[in-house]
Amino acid sequence: MQSCWFGDIDAGKCTPFTGDAAAYAYRVKESRISMDNFVPLDWGEAVTCGVCRDRAEYLAILQKVCIAGSEQGIRERYASGDIELLQMVRTLDEMDTVTNLLSERVADWYQIRHPSFSRKYRRTPAHVLVRSIAERSRERGGGGALNRVALEIAGLAEARTALAKEVSARACGVMPNTSALIGGLVAARLLSCAGGLKELSRLPGSAIQVLGARTALFAHIRTHAPAPKHGIIFQHRRVHNAPREVRGRVARVLAAKLAIAARIDYYRGHAEPAFLDDAQAKIDRAGGVPECDEGTRP
Amino acid sequence: MIRIGDVLVSKGEGGVYSERMLEGYRVWDPYRSKLAALYLVGKGIELSPDMKVLYLGAANGTTVSHVADYTEVVYAVEFAPRPMQDLLEVARRRKNVMPILADASCPEQYAMIVEEVDLLYQDVAQPDQAAIALRNCIFLKKGGHLVLMLKTRSVDIRKEPAEVFRDTLDILISAGLTIVESTWLAPYHLDHAAIICEK
Repeated sequence: MQSCWFGDIDAGKCTPFTGDAAAYAYRVKESRISMDNFVPLDWGEAVTCGVCRDRAEYLAILQKVCIAGSEQGIRERYASGDIELLQMVRTLDEMDTVTNLLSERVADWYQIRHPSFSRKYRRTPAHVLVRSIAERSRERGGGGALNRVALEIAGLAEARTALAKEVSARACGVMPNTSALIGGLVAARLLSCAGGLKELSRLPGSAIQVLGARTALFAHIRTHAPAPKHGIIFQHRRVHNAPREVRGRVARVLAAKLAIAARIDYYRGHAEPAFLDDAQAKIDRAGGVPECDEGTRP
Repeated sequence: MIRIGDVLVSKGEGGVYSERMLEGYRVWDPYRSKLAALYLVGKGIELSPDMKVLYLGAANGTTVSHVADYTEVVYAVEFAPRPMQDLLEVARRRKNVMPILADASCPEQYAMIVEEVDLLYQDVAQPDQAAIALRNCIFLKKGGHLVLMLKTRSVDIRKEPAEVFRDTLDILISAGLTIVESTWLAPYHLDHAAIICEK
């Protein structure tokens, strides 16, 4: 028996398949065709089958089926949520870059406008200065291009805060175990660096440990510079708050547990409290923190 | 193939990727499309209005749109969803493009759709490019042609491009195909080669 998208042909007899384009597409997707002794379909059979009258109609129907199938396929691929999360976290990081760049430029501009102004001794980072310019221009209204730009940057910063919250929330949904260990934002950055949840779940712990420290890693491999102890995971307080001597160990244990967490996230998709408790205790122990009793854990 | 002066063109609705128009024809840019480069560097396979084509690695549908201008039907296989969105847009405007979201290394995924074709065109960035092409040769009719765009750097970055080229030719010949033409696509595409075989 030969199965085609429009029907099954058995010993010269054709049983047509009926349904709309989506139904045909589903039939193609669910089919399991053996490629042994495979012969490509003959479109003429579709006419015998009564699916279409001529070649033009055959192609028209087939195109509808193909488009419906591809659209459905795209939807399914995007449905897992990690693809959108990837875009969200990359947008977030790029927004940071852009606002920093613009803030520094506006601060420089402001200094030219106000010759007596200096940031020396004031500990005023550019973004704080920009915020105060924006607030002042909001109160007084109007103002030149400088004020307008400062307002835009302030708006961008607000959008960034909102996006960060959304990224965290989405990460907790897509990767509950990884997020529980390292926080939604950092988990999302790991995901973005690996290129997807599937890719992250296939990385060994040692690779997750130095994810995001590419330059240092290759400097180590090429010129035998000291090996990087941590990449993106440094952003988590457990690593950057750890004393310098144990930081490497904390990073290593954390990364090892993250590798397991990512696999649970990919293959099971829900939080595993037993694993998380055990992992948290192990990471705490690596940092030299004595294990606390149940209930007193922060 | 239609040429105006030295410029390769195709006849169809323009604006697919803001391509230049020349006397009502769409200019086919050899720097963007490896197939166009092949027609300028070598001989290539003459496309005709009754041809059925299986196109592996359709990407955004840039080259697909030109092939569709010349031929009867193009079965365009692409694996990644993001470029597939663009390809779908091309298909909505061209009645003879059949978009298929599938992995070219698993022909069984689209075996129920694709009929026997006259031309198998392959442009995928995979290390086992030749094997993928051979697996898809079941759709190719006897005497039909395989046009394989070899991305030597995607096959093996550590090997010399010429070595990858020779190895690929060996694989194709030992599979029983006859090599009709093989050429590098310089100066349009570096370290890319085109191999044309007959089944």
